[in-house]
Order: sequence, then structure tokens, then C-alpha cells
Amino acid sequence: MHALLSFSRLIDAINTKIGKGAAWLILAAVLVSTINALTRYGFSMSSNAWLELQWYLFAGTFLLCAPWTLKCNEHIRIDVVTGRYSPRVHAWIDIIGGLLFLIPMCLVILWSAVPFAWDSIASMENSSNAGGLIVWPAKLLIPVAFTLLLLQGASEVIKRFAFLQGLIDGKEFEKGGGHGATPDAVEVAEATTGNK
Amino acid sequence: MPLEFLTPLIGDHMAPIMFIGLVVFLLSGYPVAFALAANGLMFALLGIGMGMFTPDFLQALPNRVFGIMANDTLLAIPFFTFMGLILERSGMAEDLLDTIGQLFGPIRGGLAFAVIFVGALLAATTGVVAASVISMGLISLPIMLRYGYDRKLASGVIAASGTLAQIIPPSLVLIIMADQLGRSVGDMYAGAMIPGLILTTMYVGYVALVAFFKPSHAPALPLEARSLTGSKLLIRSLLVLVPPLFLIFLVLGTIFLGIATPTEGGAMGASGALLLAMSKKKLNWSLVRQAVDSTAKLSSFVLFILVGATVFGLVFRGVNGDLWVEHLLTSLPGGELGFLIAVNILFFVLAFFLDFFELAFILVPLVGPVAEKMGIDLIWFGVLLGVNMQTSFMHPPFGFALFYLRSVAPGKKYIDKITGKMMDPITTKQIYWGAIPFVLIQIIMVALIIAFPDIVSVEKKEVFDDSQAEIVIDVEEEVQPTAQTNDSSNNQFKISTDEPGGKK
Repeated sequence: MHALLSFSRLIDAINTKIGKGAAWLILAAVLVSTINALTRYGFSMSSNAWLELQWYLFAGTFLLCAPWTLKCNEHIRIDVVTGRYSPRVHAWIDIIGGLLFLIPMCLVILWSAVPFAWDSIASMENSSNAGGLIVWPAKLLIPVAFTLLLLQGASEVIKRFAFLQGLIDGKEFEKGGGHGATPDAVEVAEATTGNK
Repeated sequence: MPLEFLTPLIGDHMAPIMFIGLVVFLLSGYPVAFALAANGLMFALLGIGMGMFTPDFLQALPNRVFGIMANDTLLAIPFFTFMGLILERSGMAEDLLDTIGQLFGPIRGGLAFAVIFVGALLAATTGVVAASVISMGLISLPIMLRYGYDRKLASGVIAASGTLAQIIPPSLVLIIMADQLGRSVGDMYAGAMIPGLILTTMYVGYVALVAFFKPSHAPALPLEARSLTGSKLLIRSLLVLVPPLFLIFLVLGTIFLGIATPTEGGAMGASGALLLAMSKKKLNWSLVRQAVDSTAKLSSFVLFILVGATVFGLVFRGVNGDLWVEHLLTSLPGGELGFLIAVNILFFVLAFFLDFFELAFILVPLVGPVAEKMGIDLIWFGVLLGVNMQTSFMHPPFGFALFYLRSVAPGKKYIDKITGKMMDPITTKQIYWGAIPFVLIQIIMVALIIAFPDIVSVEKKEVFDDSQAEIVIDVEEEVQPTAQTNDSSNNQFKISTDEPGGKK
């Protein structure tokens, strides 16, 4: 179990690093998109490569941040029925869900996405838009992201087992920053009042 | 095939069984995105085992994920979220509430009017609910309590005004609706403009009625409560309006004038918010990092729900689920009206349990095509559902606006800073009850849109071509629901949703 836990810690650390790094791509996407809009109407210039870059950046963000979001337990759940159960029941839900839902999903997508990306790499696929970017790195993102997600899924299952055995504190996988359509209200509120 | 013996048993009922399976999977409490995908894949394997389709069917998955990655419309989600988060910390809402509150305060119900006005103004700059509810809960609520506002009215008006961000453009709900219904975001925004304003007016009307019939519930503030007076107050009020109006022009103005696509409008708004925060000297490293982190996580879970819903949808159509839903909805009594009422009740009830993301990604693709076949305009339909889904933020006990308000409203007895009096806390029950009149207003608005469809302005120009193209695809899909056809429909869809002035 201890070996598994250190494996889980390693995955957590890697995915946190990747997620926090990839999050900055959002800011890059904002700037690229702003510049695209301004140059097109200011100077009537437009480039498919730059237009494609916007969604490349965003795709990188949401795919590579998904494992980190899972680690922070921020993927939306419907807890109407199961919300009031004990932390142990929640741990079991996450174990069963991880083993039956998440991990098989990643495996099926990988099974189809690896050849999908490989074909693209083998043919050095280019964008169908004139002057666009190369496509294969974007397609390669899919298997990469789902591999990381698969590992994070395994890490979450390990942590839940460790919790059930009393090896780690349940706080470790509590919601890292709230749930829902917008960031955690309390955190925001604290920051806002803190500023005052 | 090993599972063919199941065919006589469930072969004809795969779609309903799959749908019930989905409900069970979702209620398990495991993250929605993965439960959706797992449900889709489980039934895909079952279908393959029973010989309903071949394993090649699943080869369409990566292409679907790739389609989501390359979707320009969805790019607006992180942009508007990021903009909202930066604005929230820029102090714009605080300035507005403070000044407008002083301006309107001395009239009966004035503070509540100020909250609605500022709520609508913030709604028109960004699409994020939390920002306005939290600022208003922190700034206006204590003042309203200090001067004896009814607690239910005070909390209700704050929560409801915050949810205006969901219907007044540039709202995230409308972006997702446009994407799911295959319409342009710009048209959806144009359609939602008037309903959003009517809704705001109805909130004002409700507060005015309360102020008139029960003056003690919404008292006027004494003039001493003003820190500014006369022309100074007037000038200050005009000055605080500059930043939001500038942002509204930057985002909505450029979209409506056709200068920018909604995605670019979002990006410019986000850049504008950064500039605004910089000019107020509120921009710092940790602020940007927090905004970037929250935006990334939100985008990630939203887009993964879409990935999960896409997997589910692909398989659900494979087992002819779309035909089942269509049959179910068209066999309702009352034709078009019966359909609209049933769909609205369904959304209203489900909104008690589900987020609008889940409703939009799971249910809208199921009911949208049926509405289209009935000859219902999808822009109109999208705005109607948008107004309906706005209630999902106000429904006790899971509405997010209520949840945000709860997190900032006083939960314990406290001493008021100005009067030094001991004040009672706001109870959760008061917040719940306060929301109910506004939920009712929302229902009235839904009924109004159905009764007077012209409230939603629909431009007829390109819409017609789109629908023609889609009907053709539907026919193809029915004949041969293979992966290949699904892919081509996906591409067709993308072309038709490209914004004017996009890739050329």
C-alpha cells in the first residue's frame, strides 16, 4: 500500500504541475484572440495559423487541466441522493466509479485515439485551412490527456483505499475549491473582504 | 455475437433502458462527465455484443473529441469566465453599488432598485453569476439590513439580480445553447436582449409593489446615510458608469455591430477587464494566477461534461434514442403548445437537481431536433429555455445564487458597524423564501414568451438555410447510423455555426 501511495503522490505532483502550467495557456489564448480581432479589423490582416492557435491553446488547457481538476475534486457531481452519506460511503463511490466508469472510459478512448493520433503523425498532417498550423500535435493531445487522466483516476482510487484503511486523512481529497458554475464563493468572498 | 440472446429481450427497448441507466449513473454521485461517458460506452459494448453495431462505431470518438477541441464558439466560455473573475476583483461592482445605492437610496425601495440596476449592468458586461451575487451580498445586504429592509426581500432581490447574468448577453448559457442548437451566438444574443430587459423590469415592478403596499419592507434611507451629496454625487454616479459601459461596448457593441465574433468579443472583454484592473492598481500576480486557475478548472469540467455527453449522444442515437425521444414528445397531446409546456416543465423540475451545463449538454440536443421538426425557431426556443434554466440558479435548496449569497450573508449575530446595534443573522430559510417570488416571476416570463413569441426578436436571414441542411443530415442518419455519417454531420454542423468574419 505504501508503494502504491508513493506512486499516487508522484502522479498527483506531475498532474498538478502540468495543470497549473497549462492553465496559463488561457491567458495566452485571451491575448492571441484579442490581437487577432484587432489586427483583422484594424489592419485587415488575418492569418489562419493565428486563428487556429486560439483553439490549440484552449484545447491544451482543458485537456491537460482535466487530471488536475480531478485531483482537486472539482468535476461536477450530482449529490442530491448521495450527498448526506458518510465520507466512507463517498470513498466507496469514488472507488467503484473510478474502476467502473473513469478507468474503462479512458481505456476505450485511448484504444481509439492512439491510432487516430498515430495516423496523423505518420502523415505529418497539416491543417486544411491555407496557411494553418500542423494538426498532429493537437491530435496527439487526446491520447496524452487521457493517459494522464487514466493515471490520475488510478491515483484517486489508491487514495480512497488508503483512506478506508486509515492511512491518510479524508481532507486530502476534499473539494479543492468548491463546485459549480463559478469558483468557490467562500474563497472569493474571503479574498474580496481581505482586500477591503 | 455472444450477447445476441438478449436481443429479443431488450433489443427494442435499448433507448429507454439506456436513458434510465443514465439517470442511475448520474445519481450515483460520481462526476457527471465520466458517468455520462461510461453510460454511453457500456451501452455501446452491449450494442456491439448484441450485433446492433460494429466496433468501428467507437472509432468516431476521437474525431468527436477533436471536434470539441476545434470549436471556436466554446472558446468564449473561458474568455467570459476569465473576464468575470478579473472584474470581480477590480472593484467595479463595489464602486457601482456604493454610488448607485446612495443615488437611489433615499427613495422607498431605492436600495433594492440599485441592486437590480447594478445586477443588470454587471450582467451585460460578463456572464458570471457568482461575481454579482457576492459583491451585492457583501456591500448592499448589510446596508439593507441596517435600515430595516425585509430580510426575505433583501436576499431574494440580490440572488435574482445576480442570475440576470444568465440571460442578458453575453451569457454563458446562451453561448452553450447556440452551440448545442447549431445557431449563431450573435443571433441568440440579439434574441435574448428584450426578454432580459423585460425580466429586469419585472423585478423592478415587484420591488415597487412591495415598497408601495408594505413600505416597512423596503424603507427609504435617511439622507444622513449619504456620504456624497448634490452635484458631487451626480458626477460620481456618471463616472462609475464609464467602466461598465466601456466594457459593454467592447463586448456587446462589437458583436452586434458585426466587428467581432462572440469569441473575440469575449477575448476583448477579458483584455479590457485586465486593463481596467490595471488602471485601478488592483492587478497583481496572485489575482491573475487565481483567475487563470479557476478559469482552467471550470473550462475543464464544462468541456469534459460535453465530451461525456457527446459519447452518450453518439451511442444514444446509435440505438435510435433520438427517434424514441421524438416519438415520446410528438405524441404528447396539444401539438406544439403541448410540447413546449411539457419541455418547460421537464426543464423546470430538473433544474432543481441539475446545473444548466448538464441540462444544456444532455437534454438540449435531444429536444432541439424535435422542436425543429415541429417548425419551432431554434433561436426562440433557445432563449425560452434560457429563461427557464435561469431558475436553476434560484431554486431552493441547490440554486447557486442562493448558495453564493449564503456564503457571504451574516450567519451569526453581529454588531452593525455604523449604528452599533446587535443585528440578527440571515437564516437559510429566509434566503429560500426570498427567492420564491422571483422564481414565480421567471415562470411568468416563460409563459409570456410562449404567449407572445415576438418578444424574442428572430432574424430570419440565414436561419432557414441552416435548418434545411440539417434536415438532410437527419434523414441520412436515420438510414445509416454509422460512424462515418455522424462525422460528416459533425463537420456540417461546424460549418453552419461558424460566425461571420471567422475563418476565411
